[in-house]
Amino acid sequence: MNFRHKYMFLLPGLLVLLGILIFPIGFTVRLSLSSWDSFYPGLDFIGIENYIRLFTDDLRFWEAFGRLSMLSLTTVFLQYVIGFSLALMVWKDIVFQRFFRVLFLIPMMTTPVIMTVIWRTFFHESLGPVNDFFNLFGMNPLWLSSEILAKFTVILVEVWQWTPFMFLLLLAGLLSLPKEPYLAASIDGAGPIRTFVYVTFPLMAPISIGAIIIRLIEASKIMDTVYVLTSGGPGTSTETSSFYIFIKGLREFQFGYSAALSLTYLIIMIISFTIIAKILVKLMVRGN
Amino acid sequence: MAEIELKNIAHSYNPQAADMNYALDPFNMTWVDGGRYAILGPSGCGKTTMLNIMSGIVQPSEGKLLFDGVDVTTLSTSERNIAQVFQFPVIYGTMTVKQNLAFPLVCRNYEKSVIDAKVQEVAEALSLQGLLKKSASRLTADQKQLISLGRGLVRDDVAAVLMDEPLTVIDPDLKFRLRRQLKEINQKYRSTLIYVTHDQNEAMTFAENIIVMDAGKIVQVGSPAELFDRPKTTFVGYFIGAPAMNFFDCQASGGYMLSIGSAEIMTGTDLSKVGSAPLKLGIRSEYIRIVEAKGANTFTAHVQRVEDMGNYKLVTAVFEGHVTKVKVERDIAVPVDRVELQLPAENCCVYAADILVS
Repeated sequence: MNFRHKYMFLLPGLLVLLGILIFPIGFTVRLSLSSWDSFYPGLDFIGIENYIRLFTDDLRFWEAFGRLSMLSLTTVFLQYVIGFSLALMVWKDIVFQRFFRVLFLIPMMTTPVIMTVIWRTFFHESLGPVNDFFNLFGMNPLWLSSEILAKFTVILVEVWQWTPFMFLLLLAGLLSLPKEPYLAASIDGAGPIRTFVYVTFPLMAPISIGAIIIRLIEASKIMDTVYVLTSGGPGTSTETSSFYIFIKGLREFQFGYSAALSLTYLIIMIISFTIIAKILVKLMVRGN
Repeated sequence: MAEIELKNIAHSYNPQAADMNYALDPFNMTWVDGGRYAILGPSGCGKTTMLNIMSGIVQPSEGKLLFDGVDVTTLSTSERNIAQVFQFPVIYGTMTVKQNLAFPLVCRNYEKSVIDAKVQEVAEALSLQGLLKKSASRLTADQKQLISLGRGLVRDDVAAVLMDEPLTVIDPDLKFRLRRQLKEINQKYRSTLIYVTHDQNEAMTFAENIIVMDAGKIVQVGSPAELFDRPKTTFVGYFIGAPAMNFFDCQASGGYMLSIGSAEIMTGTDLSKVGSAPLKLGIRSEYIRIVEAKGANTFTAHVQRVEDMGNYKLVTAVFEGHVTKVKVERDIAVPVDRVELQLPAENCCVYAADILVS
């Protein structure tokens, strides 16, 4: 075969890759070096001014980033713990095992935006059924307009919505585990706790790391829940990076600046996930 | 260690079915304390089922299992005090080698000084002293398998160490070393070792006694020499030895004589009671001799091929439709066309309905 023919076969895939991945990234890089906004549209060149502004004069972005880190780490941690517990529960032969397996998956089958609207109605401070209940005890918690409780509500909705995904991955992992390590642990005299700590947890580590990383990537994109539930409020107390970039780009139409925000966010995320994955491998696989 | 007795043990994976199929047919057997046994048979013959019944992983459909006279049939795996080494090494990857070896004792709340002494002793026996502080997950497959074995040996109360094809994942050169180590351990600790394999070489080189199984039945129990020289069934003759035993269709022709086609062969078996039933004469390729002239117990065969197997030659010759394999030393010249083969009477085994006539 002629050497050039190889490239002919590669070309269709390469063109698709170029069109959907490389061009948008390249264009975003170029856009971030411009001052394109609603007043002065066009790809002018202003060097790294947008980046200087981001690093010297935009505390709100970094606060949003800190909030995002807290929200995503907390929600994914809770999803992992609850998802793993539920998966362990229906992994063993229990009564109504199939029923519970389906039941735990229901939140994942619903449309996130619609469910968030329903949750917003539940937590409505004067009309919602949650406060109807709390009113019986003379309490009226501000689920959506208190800085702390609004964060709690966002976490609650995210955990409810996405724990089933974690549950599904971990249950699939548990069902694929070999029997021999459990027989060996039983022969060695290990009880249920030792068996979990020394057999189940280490065997599940690769699957756990995969599930955690997938969910962290998804959680870091959190947008619809915040948008529908609190719109980033009260004030900016539930505003996350993606929501802030959305405001800058699609509400204030600062395309150039939001491109710089997006790229910075992307690079930080790549570095963060690389470090997190390494830490998880060290903690969970090697047991250090 | 303990004497293990299986009384009328049988197992079916579907005991409620109308036509119950036994994975393991009813049998009785006693495993002597400190013995070294191999259970040998083709895949699906029931050898792992037998091992799992002893370890408690499988509850037998029928019969009783006694450890030193105590009925343990309904006891769980952990209550039986057995150790088991699986086909693939099972180690606790987050622990060091020392922690792995100590684990069964830690689970049983032994004192630290006792644990340390026992771990040290077993590590020395298994040549693992230099690796005690190393993470178990970073060892080679054979070292991991030794740790699996070591976890069984640290306990004083182990009735038997059961091994289910433990050398499958081990390199051939290391297999030899490990088998030798297993033998040494058996001699040192007088531990009852029961070893399941489908590899006859492993069974023959490891065990004092071999249990040959086929289709859920125990077909012969004996030493490697007994299985090789006097297979009780034609199956054992085929299964043990490489190449398999030669079999010739034949008929008794009076006294100790039988006829294979036109050849009259004297055997070491009294055939006066078998009548005219069709028989088979079995003889190992190692025992057939190539002779220069026709004589007693000989026949003339056509040489089909001669293969150089390295340390011996394998001659394939045909006599009246019977393909015969003969092992000869490398330096013996084999005629290219016709060859006189002699079957020594003392090495001839006669089978009626595939069972050895004794």
